[in-house]
Amino acid sequence: MIRMLNVVLLATTLIVLVGVYGLKYSVEDIAAEKAAIERQIDRQTGVLSLLKADWSYLNQPAHVAPIVVRHQQALGLVPTGQEQFGRMDNLPMRPAAPDTAALDDLLNSLDAGIDPIGQLIEAN
Amino acid sequence: MAILSEVAETISLDGGRKSRGNLTKARIRWVIVALVLVFGTVGGRLIQLGATVTDSTIEGVARDVITASRPPILDRNGLEMAVDIRVPSLFAEPRRIVDVEEAVQKLRTVLPDLNEDWLRNRLTGDKGFVWVKRELTPAIQERIYQLGIPGLEFVTESKRFYPSGKEASHILGAVNIDNQGTMGIEKHMDDDSLAVLQSIGIARDTDLTPVSLSVDLRVQHVMYEQLQDALVRYKAVAAAGVMMDVKTGEIVALASLPDFDPNNPSTLFQDYNGVKNDRFNRITSGIYELGSTFKTVTLAGALDSGKVRITDEFDARFAVRFGRFTIDDFHGKHRVLSVPEVFKYSSNIGTIKIMQELGKDEFRDFLTKIGMDRTVPFELPEMRKPKVPDKFSEIVAATSSFGHGLSVSPLHMVRAVAAFVNDGYMVPPTMYKRDEAEARQLYEPVISPSTSAEIRYLLRLNAIGAGGSGSRMNKIANGYRVGGKTGTAEKVVNGRYASNVNFNVFASAFPLDKPRYAMVIIVDEPKAENEQTGVTAGWNAGEVTGRIVQRVAPMLGIAPDFGEMLDQNLVPVELR
Repeated sequence: MIRMLNVVLLATTLIVLVGVYGLKYSVEDIAAEKAAIERQIDRQTGVLSLLKADWSYLNQPAHVAPIVVRHQQALGLVPTGQEQFGRMDNLPMRPAAPDTAALDDLLNSLDAGIDPIGQLIEAN
Repeated sequence: MAILSEVAETISLDGGRKSRGNLTKARIRWVIVALVLVFGTVGGRLIQLGATVTDSTIEGVARDVITASRPPILDRNGLEMAVDIRVPSLFAEPRRIVDVEEAVQKLRTVLPDLNEDWLRNRLTGDKGFVWVKRELTPAIQERIYQLGIPGLEFVTESKRFYPSGKEASHILGAVNIDNQGTMGIEKHMDDDSLAVLQSIGIARDTDLTPVSLSVDLRVQHVMYEQLQDALVRYKAVAAAGVMMDVKTGEIVALASLPDFDPNNPSTLFQDYNGVKNDRFNRITSGIYELGSTFKTVTLAGALDSGKVRITDEFDARFAVRFGRFTIDDFHGKHRVLSVPEVFKYSSNIGTIKIMQELGKDEFRDFLTKIGMDRTVPFELPEMRKPKVPDKFSEIVAATSSFGHGLSVSPLHMVRAVAAFVNDGYMVPPTMYKRDEAEARQLYEPVISPSTSAEIRYLLRLNAIGAGGSGSRMNKIANGYRVGGKTGTAEKVVNGRYASNVNFNVFASAFPLDKPRYAMVIIVDEPKAENEQTGVTAGWNAGEVTGRIVQRVAPMLGIAPDFGEMLDQNLVPVELR
């Protein structure tokens, strides 16, 4: 009985020994992996912070304004004047009914083979 | 009995077993002693290891503090004004360096600006940690790694970066190399709470809640650009401006020139055109005689007391004499002037008469009521106490009524103007975002709503009335219902007022039919732009105000309106 118990205990000890040995190495592997990932995260947050700083720099009015000035001449840019602002109620009202006669004329002339765009080009 | 007899029979055998038993006992004892010793050693070592304190400080500063980050600072629309970037810093462990000479030579190929002797001294010795160079770029870090010098290591630090550069320098302030705020809002954040957070190590991670300021970077940019333009256009020595939301007290823009680069804080101490310490914040820590803009304050006090009514008239025919001093008008009309005319023609005589009607002690009390004699409660730490005499004599009261003989900061002025147009409710200015409901709890009534309406009329009248000093401003910002008061103060040179050296101010508010923003612009020692122009405030500070409003009003959601009804509605019933 005692011999049986000893054998079982010995076997358990051996198994546990091997298990702990394996566990130790796998923990070391995982720790190394974790350290590597942490280093990578650290590096990437560093890069990310630089990119974010870059992005906010590019969005600054202080950065955009000189670009506007540089292209002012080529694009004909001028600051918006007061008279350039309008309101909805300043727009003319829509005509009460569509001008059906004019539309009919246009369709008839198209049917007759007259090209209104071509006429415009010729006129100029 | 049986046992006794048995023992007696086998004496010799028993002795052998006993001696073997004793031997076993002795062995067991030795094993126990050995085990106790072994486990004792192991346990002792564990306690020793547990008690060891690892030195985590870097040259006396905790590592956490060095790598601590600061929250990003955003403007009111969420655009970054200050961010943290993670940068590598190079340090050395001299006790691990094998060949100092080789290390010095190799390092200098990458960092040639390091002094050779200094570096050699630094790397020699038995120290565990010395900084070599802080805040490098990742590219340089890579090159130093490739040199493969043992004993050189990097630690990642947080470095503050201000993407807006100089534009908001006086608002943001600066930080030192250990990431602690030294001025501006950065210092205020530290004094407030951040230092505590950093010291207990909470502020180490990068995801801190951003701080939202009240500043609108677009408005700030326009103001900065226009002030720079003013320096060139009027050959001024300095220019500054501040814009405040009258309803909430939020500072929308604040700029002061000459300025510095917060990314390189040492520029603050550089001389400007040969003048030392000239780059301070003129809005908060500059105190000035604000000249005729102060007439707005005098009139507000007098009208609110009820002793002066807007329909009253004052005799401005003759100069006022105090002993050997005579005070006259700059553009003298020398006739009887109504109250609006006194304001429009900026009559010193008329203003003195109005102040005398109010009474000099009452006038002094009104200044206390609107906080002119105390520092404005404000977040920026750069503050200077205003100079207002504790008791007014007749002559000091007279000069004070038109802004001479007392010095206050432009921030005092903008707060007062904001209160005067905001139905008389004064609200403390702030650099942080604040909504109107929150601001209402801080409202402090200083004048009545009806006096406020009269002041709005006077300010607008000065911009649209014939001969008003704000007409040049209104021409530029036409349609945005701006009104304001000029102030052309003579500067004191060698102890006396010099008539050709001016300090010009323009205090304004817009849109006056529904006041939302108050602004003060100062231009120090402006010269005439060309032969046809003048040097008084309407020509420079006024025009700058006009140009700023013209640009920023659409950004702030104010549509131009040329309707004359709006202006007519501002006229008090008594004058219609």
